[in-house]
Amino acid sequence: MGIVFSCLERLGLFGQSSSRTMTRLILSTGNIISGGPSIIRKPGAYRSNLEFTNSLRSSFLAAQQDYGAASTNGSAKDAATNGKPSSQINGDRPATDIWTQRDGDALYVPRIDWSGAGLQEERAQYEITLKLFFLPTAPAADRPKYITAAMDLVKKELGVADVDLLIVSFPGMSFQGDCEWEADKMNGSMGNDEEELYTWTALEALHQQGQIQRLGIAEFGSEKLSNFITKVKVRPAVDQINIKNCCNVPPPLAQLAKEADIELLTHSDCTDILPSGTLRELLGQGPDGAGILADERTRPGLQGNLVPQWVVKYTAFVKDRGVIENKGYFAGAELEE
Amino acid sequence: MGLLALGTALDWPDAKQHANKVREWGIKQLLEIWSKAKTKERDALLWGDEVEYLVVTYSKDDPKVLLSLRQADILTALAADEELSAKGGGVPALQDPQHQSNPLPVFHPEFGRFMLEATPGKPWGIGFKELLDVEPDMKLRRKIAKEHMKSNEYPITLTTFPRLGVPGVFTDPYFPPSGSKLRSQFVPDEIANPHIRFPTLAANIRWRRGRKVQVNVPVFHDVKTSKPWKDPSVNYDLHNWPEDDDVRNGASPDDFIHMDAMAFGMGSCCLQITFQAKNITEGRKMYDQLSPIGPIMLALTAATPIYKGFLADTDVRWNQISRAVDDRTPEELGEKPLKEDRWRIPKSRYASNSTYISTDNRLRPEYMDPNLVIDESIKEQLLEGGMDDRLATHFAHLFIRDPIVIFSEDLKELDMTKADHFENIQSTNWQHMRFKPPPAGSDIGWRVEFRPMEIQITDFENAAFSVFMVLITRAILSFDLNFYIPIAKVDENMETAHARDAVLEKKFYFRKNPFPTRPARSAVASGTSTPVVSRPPTPTGPVEDEYALMTVDEVINGSNSEEHDFPGLIPIVESYLDSVNVDVRTRCELDTYLKLIRLRASGELWTAAKWIRRFVSKHPAYQQDSVVDDTVTKDLVGAVIDISDREQLGKGWKGLDVPDLERLLGGFRGGCGGSRD
Repeated sequence: MGIVFSCLERLGLFGQSSSRTMTRLILSTGNIISGGPSIIRKPGAYRSNLEFTNSLRSSFLAAQQDYGAASTNGSAKDAATNGKPSSQINGDRPATDIWTQRDGDALYVPRIDWSGAGLQEERAQYEITLKLFFLPTAPAADRPKYITAAMDLVKKELGVADVDLLIVSFPGMSFQGDCEWEADKMNGSMGNDEEELYTWTALEALHQQGQIQRLGIAEFGSEKLSNFITKVKVRPAVDQINIKNCCNVPPPLAQLAKEADIELLTHSDCTDILPSGTLRELLGQGPDGAGILADERTRPGLQGNLVPQWVVKYTAFVKDRGVIENKGYFAGAELEE
Repeated sequence: MGLLALGTALDWPDAKQHANKVREWGIKQLLEIWSKAKTKERDALLWGDEVEYLVVTYSKDDPKVLLSLRQADILTALAADEELSAKGGGVPALQDPQHQSNPLPVFHPEFGRFMLEATPGKPWGIGFKELLDVEPDMKLRRKIAKEHMKSNEYPITLTTFPRLGVPGVFTDPYFPPSGSKLRSQFVPDEIANPHIRFPTLAANIRWRRGRKVQVNVPVFHDVKTSKPWKDPSVNYDLHNWPEDDDVRNGASPDDFIHMDAMAFGMGSCCLQITFQAKNITEGRKMYDQLSPIGPIMLALTAATPIYKGFLADTDVRWNQISRAVDDRTPEELGEKPLKEDRWRIPKSRYASNSTYISTDNRLRPEYMDPNLVIDESIKEQLLEGGMDDRLATHFAHLFIRDPIVIFSEDLKELDMTKADHFENIQSTNWQHMRFKPPPAGSDIGWRVEFRPMEIQITDFENAAFSVFMVLITRAILSFDLNFYIPIAKVDENMETAHARDAVLEKKFYFRKNPFPTRPARSAVASGTSTPVVSRPPTPTGPVEDEYALMTVDEVINGSNSEEHDFPGLIPIVESYLDSVNVDVRTRCELDTYLKLIRLRASGELWTAAKWIRRFVSKHPAYQQDSVVDDTVTKDLVGAVIDISDREQLGKGWKGLDVPDLERLLGGFRGGCGGSRD
């Protein structure tokens, strides 16, 4: 079983980066756990970013419908008075500034209603897990900033001060082959050790502050993992790997995990969860796009070089009932106009 | 079955006089429990499985396999040993370090004197690793049970004993039929657990009904089966009891296997799962959402193709149990005009459930049973006590029944710290779902029992179905799924599930889109531009458009037809597992369980019913005349014992001389000789 095509797509960017204006895009799905079919795995899709991209698309569409409806039946003046006039009417879509929100250099897509934030029960009932994907399109040096941004958003969304587990996914890592044995061997030369250690230092600080109880990594084979744990202060408590058909953890990895007390968890995400072509399509003027980005002369909108930086997936799981109460994604991208 | 308090059980004419009192006291007890527990919150998911066994005597040298009636002795031996282990003694198996920290499994009597029930020593939680303890625990239960039996006795998990009620000897020891309690021409009174509750239950059901129960199953017409077929084991010349007239009055129609006692139904083994809910609201929701899944799981676990020595034309036990405890009078059945009785009642006490009870706003009035019979005065009392209409309706429906077994000692005074009168009615309503209030004076929460599944031959399969049901409830609650269809369609599905090979050949009504509608942020008039998330709108399209006929394969594995793209219960469970932290080994083990269910639904593997049919039809002693004789039965039970022995050893089934075993169990747990799984 190969990986899903959408993980691999790398569409070229169109639009030149020329100006100096930066916009930080904050994309969000809201709680997708009761959001319908986009969370249900399609047969054969062992590894995909479809849950994320479909949920983003649904989130944009829902916000356009809801805020669009709100603006046309009486509250339009409210929506239009917080700054610029709502001029960017794009076809059937409501104006961008009706359903998105600007806050300084940040643009929330869609706008977030924090009044619904928080969990239903007290914090201790939950296991809160984050998976933070660093994307290959963004510079590793900025990762500490991304960690802060992602943590702040999730803490605000769930109304918590700390999380139980944060798993990092580094770009260029994968754990795949015809079988897991092969995967383990191929994995050794992947990723960038130096950047990974640098990033880890920032996470260790948050761990020491008590903001993250346990740290984890994803897609580390036995060779990477054994090197990694000798060089870090705080060892990962979790290594998340993607298993497909054979269900056999490679013995060296199983052995190492046991000795180092590292839990091997499963996942079905792809590492490059938000390629820039995918993001451009999600925000663009196409039939499935949100209509935020300009389309060469025909439609107005934001212009420039779009750089996906990070994605965070969060899950709030009621431990003693096995119920997922909240699951969603935030993503950060930069638009250089 | 609970309710084992000792006392003087009233005969039906006496019991009948006190029925109103029991109902009245039962409702008072219910209101007391409900008002104390309605605000009970945040209970953990705890759940339990119940495995039921037949006990048979089998030896390679004996021509016959028999039902052992030593239930009481076996339970005594088990109890004695539990005492021993509490004192630090025990049996070697219990000192296995793997199990030292777990309390011992618990064994219970059942209706049949040839049956045992076993439950885990403590309820299960939802740690995913804990789900993997279920199968070893089930194996341990079987091992302990076997160790407290004679060497030629075996606990087996067939739903029914193929030769129950045949002329001649089928029990050990032998007792002649036609006793005063059951008045059955096929089985002796000694077939029932001797505890006074059980024979009284059987006798009073018969007495209330005015004749014996009629358990008629269509015979499977094989090439040499006569047409019409008359059950050759029916004796028309018996004159011991007035009820012996039943068969002379048409109780045994052509082309049906005729049975006449409670033991033919309540002597069946099932796999039941009970879940504790977070609170009453979640319990009511689970009750409703699991109800439409019931018939699907019944068809998928089908394991009952033989009755009284004949191949039946149905695959499951359900309707036989239903008829075996049907205490309705001719008036209630609609055979005579209503004179003495209060109403006509469309279903037996043992039947698919007739109410939805959730406070979910997706529950449309159109889903409710238009023929629901309730006791209006009881509903009135419950409403006055503060209960909401829906729940009051549910209990007012259960309380249309009479209490069957009343102990005179219990009628002296009403004990409001107990639930005995409430339970008297509640626990003799054997619907396919049961909504269980917290037991009086306990810390246990609101619970829901899922009752339709048939017991499977191996503990691997029983664990697989149990774990699947746990996971589907977690997915329902997490994804807020909606499986509502009109409850009358659930009834129809329950009937459909009986057909031979319904799992592959039949279609079931099922909801096309199980997903919640998106809660819209609705504008508020308060001057803010921020829409507020409101409750999802109540759906209003035609109810008929919400569901379609689907195969079990489509319901379980998903479909992509033109009419609907139901995602499938297995993909839903997998998506749930994708969203939680689960370790590699656990996930792979859980996948094994899901795979069994997937393959059974798709037909790649056979149900036990199909496998048993093939076993019979391929047997050299079988004459293609629907008769399952002692030789075939002995070899069938022998095969089941061999399968079970191998499972205990954990070595797979390779090399076993059992036909088509690979079609039943595939490559699971060491496999049958093909590829490993």
